[in-house]
Amino acid sequence: MRYVKISRENTYMFLERLKDLGTLHAPQNISEKYYDFVEVDDVHSVIFEYNRTVRPPRRFFYPEKETMFKFNMEEVEEYPVEIQSERVILFGVHSCDIVGLRIIDATFLDEQPDPMYKKHRENGIIIGISCLPDEYCFCNVRRVEIVDAGFDLFFHEISDGFLVRVRSITGHKLIEPNLDLFEEEISKEDTDYIAEFEVKRRSMFSIQGNWDDLRYHLEWNMDHPMYVRESEKCLGCGNCTTTCPTCRCYDVKDIPNLDGKTGERVRFWDSCQFRTHGLVAGGHNFRPTKKDRFFNRYHCKNAYCQEVTTSYCVGCGRCTYFCPAEINFKQNLLEVRGEA
Amino acid sequence: MSNGESNIYELHQVRVLRVYDMSNIDKLFLFRFEDPIRARDWRFGPGQFVQVSLLGIGEVPISICSSARRVGFFELCIRNAGRVTSQIHKLKPGDLIGVRGPYGNGFPMDQFYNKDLLLVAAGLGMAPLRSIFLYALDNRWLFGNITIVNSAKYGKELLFQKELEAMKDIATAENIEIIQTVTRDPDFPGLHGRATAHMDKVNVDPNNCAVAMCGPPAMYRGMFEELVKRGFDRRYIFVTLERRMKCGVGKCGHCNIGTATSWKYACKDGPVFDYYDIISVPGLI
Repeated sequence: MRYVKISRENTYMFLERLKDLGTLHAPQNISEKYYDFVEVDDVHSVIFEYNRTVRPPRRFFYPEKETMFKFNMEEVEEYPVEIQSERVILFGVHSCDIVGLRIIDATFLDEQPDPMYKKHRENGIIIGISCLPDEYCFCNVRRVEIVDAGFDLFFHEISDGFLVRVRSITGHKLIEPNLDLFEEEISKEDTDYIAEFEVKRRSMFSIQGNWDDLRYHLEWNMDHPMYVRESEKCLGCGNCTTTCPTCRCYDVKDIPNLDGKTGERVRFWDSCQFRTHGLVAGGHNFRPTKKDRFFNRYHCKNAYCQEVTTSYCVGCGRCTYFCPAEINFKQNLLEVRGEA
Repeated sequence: MSNGESNIYELHQVRVLRVYDMSNIDKLFLFRFEDPIRARDWRFGPGQFVQVSLLGIGEVPISICSSARRVGFFELCIRNAGRVTSQIHKLKPGDLIGVRGPYGNGFPMDQFYNKDLLLVAAGLGMAPLRSIFLYALDNRWLFGNITIVNSAKYGKELLFQKELEAMKDIATAENIEIIQTVTRDPDFPGLHGRATAHMDKVNVDPNNCAVAMCGPPAMYRGMFEELVKRGFDRRYIFVTLERRMKCGVGKCGHCNIGTATSWKYACKDGPVFDYYDIISVPGLI
């Protein structure tokens, strides 16, 4: 792989230049405690060290609401809408969120690709950044703490700036016109820093090991008392799915205009934690109870994504961090695995 | 019919050719694609479904119930059960609607060749099974003996009852057994009891028979037990499942079923599942 090096000061300059290539979004404080990807105005407000953004990056490629097409009911005609897509540059994406996007790719860019997602994703540039875990993080047991794919550039903290991995042609093209900002000589000191950083990082995770066997534990303990106990606390608000970097359920609605003739078909994020998710005509519900819906999420997230060879959960910790009922996903899974 | 580059959500216009009342709540619709090329070339397999759109109201997944061998038109048997289907029931010949598909794996018909065929339907389950049944009739030489069991709670809900009754004459000549039975209708002039109660009347050889079923999970459980007891080859027992299939292309997540070791999209991995899927994936039935 190609490596280049950049100082912190030059990183701000690089961000300034990235703004000319499209809309640059990067983690910024949105309150005292929370971060989110926000369009960059002043590059000095970009935060290099943050725990997690409120919203995962999928919304840039899979917006919470999107028009699929417009229609005329009288003519029974469908009018395609041009997919509005501009170049989006995401700077400062953590490895969990990079894998999260790859997991959504597995579903949305399969043999029947979703045309809107495809267009947005093709217009996206992903620049990763190294991070240190807090007590909510468990990407290590999900085996996604180090990423080899799914980004164009990846910034690793070193003593006086960042060592940058260049992963794609787009990545090379971002570096080439800006070589005045980068150094191409990588020292032993730099790679040692990264190696030490990784050792420190590994030791910081609150749990260690590998959860590849977790899906079997879940299947062997399908009537574990955790499901009833924890789902009783659940408010059914859907925060866990809205903040999840790999959740991708959507519902579709036709919205007629007041003229009674035209309208548009809109798709919007749905949540398996809502009662209506499994509801069909005639009032039958395939997941009638909160426990059914809770079980559905726990199994969906811990299922195996063949294309990425990981579980659908990337261990970002958002579903627990943002749960108003303080339901602890990681702790509940440990309990089912017999380790709580 | 989507390929890699076409828009998977694009609708195609179909015109209603005929509407028949099947019961108080079920109607049979004949459709033809407006685009003559599509009308000529559109193909599907038994057990597949389409997404039917009423623009401004919504979209519903419906199993195709006509024979895959009869091209140029297709038929859907639709129950008036909800917001969209109640509006579909108001359609008249000449009306235009939108359709996309076909979707789902369908029944693996090539695995059924040179075997006897046992088809077991309960209630609205007759609709997708009619697609296999007519397909088998249109390719009679590919299959051995055929038995179709059509069951419902009441005689007036027995779908395609008259059609099957009218076929009985030719059926005898073609080694086809037609069994129609009701479970809760003492006044019905024909057979009574569940499908399992009529397994002595079938003309198929359990050692060389493919079974396709469509009905509620309780029917599947009862039939599995009966079929295994009678020595049917478990490998050739298939069922088709109902779930909330919103997109039809394995994306929207509403039809997800299974557990962490076997997570399925009913619309894409199914809706047809075999006996071993059912015993391996908790929650399928």
